[in-house]
Amino acid sequence: MPTLKIDGQEITVDRGTTILQAAAQLGVQIPTFCYHPGLSIAANCRMCLVDTNKAPKPLPACHAQVMDGMEVWTNNEKVQRTRKAVLEFILLNHPVDCPICDQAGECVLQDHYFKYSAQPSRLFHRKRHKAKAKILGPNVILDAERCILCTRCVRFCDEVAKSSQLTVVNRGEKSEITTFPGKQLDNPYAANTVDICPVGALTSRDFRFRTRVWMLSTERGVCPECSRGCSIRVDTFENTVRRYKPVHNPKVNDWWMCDAGRASFRGYLEDRVEGPTIVADGKRRAVATAKAVEDAAKAIQAAGGHGKVALVASPWLTNEDAYVLGRLVTGALAGVKVYMGGRAAGAGDDILIQPDKNPNRKGVDAIFAALGVKAADLSSFDAKGIETVFVFGDNHDASPATLEALAAVPWRIVAGTKMGPWWQLATTFLPLRLHWEKDGTYTNFDGVVQRIRRAVKAAPTCKSEGWYAMKLAQSFGDALAFDAPADIFAAVAGSVPEFAGLAWSDLGDHGLRFGEGSVPAGADAASAEPQMEATT
Amino acid sequence: MATIQVTRGELSLAEKLYIPEVMRGVAITTRQLVKNVFGRKDIATRQYPDVKKPYPERFRGRHRLTWRDDGSVRCVACMLCSTACPANCIHIVAGDKGDNTVEKYPVSFEIDLLVCVYCGFCEEACPCDAIRMDSGKHPMPSFSRDKQRIRKVQLLEEGQPSTSHPGGLGN
Repeated sequence: MPTLKIDGQEITVDRGTTILQAAAQLGVQIPTFCYHPGLSIAANCRMCLVDTNKAPKPLPACHAQVMDGMEVWTNNEKVQRTRKAVLEFILLNHPVDCPICDQAGECVLQDHYFKYSAQPSRLFHRKRHKAKAKILGPNVILDAERCILCTRCVRFCDEVAKSSQLTVVNRGEKSEITTFPGKQLDNPYAANTVDICPVGALTSRDFRFRTRVWMLSTERGVCPECSRGCSIRVDTFENTVRRYKPVHNPKVNDWWMCDAGRASFRGYLEDRVEGPTIVADGKRRAVATAKAVEDAAKAIQAAGGHGKVALVASPWLTNEDAYVLGRLVTGALAGVKVYMGGRAAGAGDDILIQPDKNPNRKGVDAIFAALGVKAADLSSFDAKGIETVFVFGDNHDASPATLEALAAVPWRIVAGTKMGPWWQLATTFLPLRLHWEKDGTYTNFDGVVQRIRRAVKAAPTCKSEGWYAMKLAQSFGDALAFDAPADIFAAVAGSVPEFAGLAWSDLGDHGLRFGEGSVPAGADAASAEPQMEATT
Repeated sequence: MATIQVTRGELSLAEKLYIPEVMRGVAITTRQLVKNVFGRKDIATRQYPDVKKPYPERFRGRHRLTWRDDGSVRCVACMLCSTACPANCIHIVAGDKGDNTVEKYPVSFEIDLLVCVYCGFCEEACPCDAIRMDSGKHPMPSFSRDKQRIRKVQLLEEGQPSTSHPGGLGN
């Protein structure tokens, strides 16, 4: 166990630790470009050079391992001079077109320049010109002039995406990143190269020129496109989602997410329906929320017995909504037939993408099992004897035969988000909130319970599934009432064995795995965050 | 609150009699009238719509967008003006020009003059000398709010080529 001194602070670390890791343990920041904790170490940008007593020249902190008795200076005059020289070298042919560069505002080169260099260019030649706006693949566009050749993207393709599509060609100042001949940067994780690019060389084609990044507001969320549930940042501007970005979560997705998930938010922005409607006398008309809920309750009553009512739940429900729905079908509406919808299984891989394309099947299944709700698959739906059907969510891949069977039911209540077959099916339509418009939790395939947070303010007519379930229960005389998702989560933790010990306030940014809870069973929800937006 | 005591002088007998003072006032007005009608030399009043006061050189008037030498818009839609704008009145939608020398251009560029506070931060922020407030025109009234949202075409109609050089004088 070598002991060393970094900027005068002594620390003992394991053999093989790099200077950068040891400094990070002490809270000393060393600037880097090419170093990424999820990739192999290249030590080619030289930004992390530090002065040591063990070598006459500065050493790259990301690569050099600590030695016993080593003394490291991360910010002495020599290091400052070195950093300035490194930045001047890196910026020599950089176009400095920050005003039109999408990376500006989240650019490591910009930050480092202002912090460590801030000197004008001394170059009086013409700058070297390279490929501009070169399309590398369906999601990524390259500006080779901005590139600092840190090779993070090359290493990502080789090591994480296992596709080896990128390489560096030519030598010296003519070096540039490009794809191998005849290849495109089209692997399913290609857009991660945009995230890890420290400068504006690789930028997203989807986000290109859409919004300046400093105008974005951001909130943590979970990508719902598969049961992996990658931790994401939902970036919004003017109350509209502009992009998803993956966030580091060692329990779920490390630093990455797939391109399909990243692009998925557009689908939710299209054809959104934000108002409740009912069909009366063959005509669809807009009504107030209270009237629509009343109409739904009437339809259930008109069925004449709970045995004639079918309810379609969804693995898209949050744990909280699933719990309220479970309480509804075991309490006020005991005896209704419950079906489980959801998206059909698709392709998966051994990196991140899961075959189950629903975000919360594990959580909903666990909660329904604990509450004693038996849900049959939606494909087995039988309209015989059913008078009223209540469909929660419109993310169901139903076969035409199932849709036909559903259409044969006289009263059809659908809670959904957008125009489509489910909206057309509805005799009563209740608008739902999207996953970025509500607070709650999702449980991924691995049993990691993660928070989703409200990034966008929904139209006041849009409510969560749990809210409708609660209103229905109340209209049938059940005193089912919760104030906030945190309260429901406390109830889930108290009654579902898988969730035992999990507390809303402990979920944090990385979530908690089943069994990782620390709260003894039966503790109340007093510790829950009070500022959470109410479900009501 | 401060109170100021004003002491007024005693009125003389002529003033107290009232009529002579009125006559004196009418005489002044008549003299001015005759001066205005027959000799228009030293009139204090400006004949406004016909004679306008020249604005000072640094007057910040209605915005204009400058042109490149080929007549296209100089703005590269970097949004620095809308970022600097304290009134949040500049709305730009950027697009890809598909031209590697320019890349970015404003698909739409709108300024809401009813919201604008004419502070000039936008021209200060502009790295391209693309937006200027030196048109010398002040905002005009209109019958609808929508007319006060001036758009790219109107801004360009006000404009003219910029005198600055892209990339500095050396290029």
